[in-house]
Amino acid sequence: MGTYILKRIIGSILILLLIMVVTFMLMNAIPGSPFLTEKSTPEQIAMAEAKYGLDKPLYVQLWNYIKNYLHGDLGTSLKMQEGTPVKNIIFHQGKFALSIKLGLLALLVAVCLGIPLGCLAAFYRGSWLDGLLRVVTTIGVAIPTFVLAALLLVVFSVKLKWMPTLSGSLTDAKSYILPVISLSSYYTCYIAKLMRTSMLDAINQDYIRTARAKGVKTKALVLKHALRNSLIPVVTYLGPVTAGIITGSFVVESTFSVPGLGKYFVQCVMSRDYPVIMATTVVLSALVIFAMLVVDIAYKIVDPRITLTTKED
Amino acid sequence: MKKLVALLLVLCLAFSSVAISAADEPFVINACIASEPETIDPSLISSVDGSTYTQHQFENLMKYQMVDQNPANDPNMKLTEVVKGQAKDYTISDDKTVYTFTLRDDIFWSDGQPVTAKDWVFSWQRLVDPATASDYGYFLDNIVLNAAAIQAGEKDKSELGIKALDDKTLEITLEAPCAYFLEMCAFASLVPLREDVVKDGWTEPANLVVNGPYKITEWVHDSYIKMEKNDKYYDVANLGPDAIIWWLSDSETAILSAYQSGEYQFIESFPTDMIQSLVDSGDCFINPYVGTYYLYLNCSKITDWRVRAAMAISVDRENVVENVTQGGQSPATGFVASGILDSTGADFAFGVSELGALYNTLQQMYPDADLSTYAGRCELAQQLYQAAVDEGAWDPNTTVEYNFNTSETHKAIAEACGHDWETVLGMKINLANQEWATYTNGLGEHKFGVARLGWIADYNDPITYLELLVTGNSYNYGLYENPAYDEKITNAKAMLAGADRDKLLYEAEEALFGEGGFPVCPVYYYTNMYCSKGLTNLGYTTMGYFFFQYAKPAQ
Repeated sequence: MGTYILKRIIGSILILLLIMVVTFMLMNAIPGSPFLTEKSTPEQIAMAEAKYGLDKPLYVQLWNYIKNYLHGDLGTSLKMQEGTPVKNIIFHQGKFALSIKLGLLALLVAVCLGIPLGCLAAFYRGSWLDGLLRVVTTIGVAIPTFVLAALLLVVFSVKLKWMPTLSGSLTDAKSYILPVISLSSYYTCYIAKLMRTSMLDAINQDYIRTARAKGVKTKALVLKHALRNSLIPVVTYLGPVTAGIITGSFVVESTFSVPGLGKYFVQCVMSRDYPVIMATTVVLSALVIFAMLVVDIAYKIVDPRITLTTKED
Repeated sequence: MKKLVALLLVLCLAFSSVAISAADEPFVINACIASEPETIDPSLISSVDGSTYTQHQFENLMKYQMVDQNPANDPNMKLTEVVKGQAKDYTISDDKTVYTFTLRDDIFWSDGQPVTAKDWVFSWQRLVDPATASDYGYFLDNIVLNAAAIQAGEKDKSELGIKALDDKTLEITLEAPCAYFLEMCAFASLVPLREDVVKDGWTEPANLVVNGPYKITEWVHDSYIKMEKNDKYYDVANLGPDAIIWWLSDSETAILSAYQSGEYQFIESFPTDMIQSLVDSGDCFINPYVGTYYLYLNCSKITDWRVRAAMAISVDRENVVENVTQGGQSPATGFVASGILDSTGADFAFGVSELGALYNTLQQMYPDADLSTYAGRCELAQQLYQAAVDEGAWDPNTTVEYNFNTSETHKAIAEACGHDWETVLGMKINLANQEWATYTNGLGEHKFGVARLGWIADYNDPITYLELLVTGNSYNYGLYENPAYDEKITNAKAMLAGADRDKLLYEAEEALFGEGGFPVCPVYYYTNMYCSKGLTNLGYTTMGYFFFQYAKPAQ
């Protein structure tokens, strides 16, 4: 297992390098400049580009990125917070921590609610409860996050005044509620649907029938035997979800005025803030790679039959 | 009886404590005018929000002061005029090219050091220095001596026409007389800066040193900026709010929700479909705003002026402002925005004729046409277009590319204009939506038939618009060339305000919309909408800046 993890870490660094190269090529392939405004002249754009080294050949710029990243320097924002080191924007201003906090909480809610709801629906298949859960989860998957967020804001903040309209830096418990509900709703419902299907598969297996025939109680049957096996698809889904829930928090962060990283992930592309594009992509890619590694390890815990390494390892 | 007296005493005590606590409660304004600013460094700002923050933190030689006049129907909002700010006095040389400012004696930076003339010299030199790469680096070009040459890299920044004669005397030398120079001296990009303060990270609250009424004391990026009174400011005793919190958000739904729930007292953006109900509820006000929304008609692609003229006059502007933008805008009748004044104080947009420059020259050329009505304009448009087609100057099968940057409003305006050209003239229009960076790139490369842009005035003079269409100007995206027009603008720039200069400028705008012209199709004049409650004594300039420093709670 140790060798496997070490190999994965080395592989991850290479993947990150590859991501940097591809991101660099893509962001330079799209037209535009971070310094284009309604009132900027070609001369001003050229001067600004020279100031930030964007007039150098592309291979020099790429090499500078890689060299600086190896020294822990993520560059300086060209547009979104002009002149501010990107490292400060992402880490010191708390944006990354805020997005992670919000994302992980939403993920926790999605898992803690989605899995039991899916189990309940599967176990009471065909009952009114199953029917109700199917309707609710279908609606939850279908409603776009921005609609749900706006709806929650208007009802609970503006009309009922139970919740703050500005969640800000999420300093008190109340400020978490609406953003977390908005962000987790889709994933809760999707996980519940996934879990229901997976659980239905599991409880129709021979070993469950055998256990039932041997007189194993329902609770133990579900928790001890069916649940672990039916978790595999959910665990597989959690890898990309971790990334999606953090990068996809743009709408929620914007609606509830949470100063997280999600907004930067989208807007830096629009404003051609190259160092911010590169840094957010690399940081979030690292997060995804880490999440995938955790998922792989979780496979082994959930189902010991799965082998992570080849025989030579 | 004793019980009653005791009860009354208790009640009196309770009420007095409430009164004391109410009186002690700090007056804080919660406003939201934009999302996180790209920068608040005065030399680098180019946005209205960035300028607004600057105007609250810094004071220039001249400043905006409220006058007893409301810009709209909001009695709590007052217009402003430019008066002396950090300057105690100024003199102008006989040839009107040398301005000598004497600074006030009681002006200090927030760290207690006196404000000196050198601070302007440093700031202005920094602005024009190509190494600063400021969006407003061009602002002093052809106005302050050597500014253009420094921007072009031909001269050193130390050769800029600004000198500190001593700590309290500043001398500024111009290239030529400039009618609006004093107004420029109130501009946010030209505020004084301290050379020993401006270094990496100087705009963070801990490092910031300012000379204006307020100072940022807290900045949670992408969340809020908190400003508190600068106790070194000479007029601190008369300032209004103890603190101003500028919330940073771009979600219109969230902004409106916070306003409706009472968390914000002032907002500038909200969903378009809510405008009418907010106006009806008395929350929303519509201010004049000196800006023109216009379309470039590419002279290198639509080569015949009659086709361009036909396009320009066949747009149903009333339809656009009433049914598309719905923000109280007024249909444009010229390129120079309404609100720009001539030397007599008259609105330049209607200085020559009620019809406006857009229609006036054509009306004189075609006296039989009735350009005061949309039907009459369509009739003339068809006549002009057909003449161009008949002479083979325009192929009616040509498809004109209409580019606009991603926005629901731009798209709706493009659809409305495109529809007018298709139905009135029978033209073929292809609407092309592009995201901003790609769009502006295409503008610079003149890859369009029609393309939109908005221009907000930098100062109150027609030159701020008319200069854009001079041959070779970077903003002349439609590649308009007219030596006679160029000459009028060059001459007007070297003249002082007065009847002769007004005449030249009026003639120039008329030439834009006469034979061989129509490089642009003005659509509407901007307005500035805001919602405000619980506040009074707010200031506003028609350039779009709001001032909160003397605001008071509304009774």
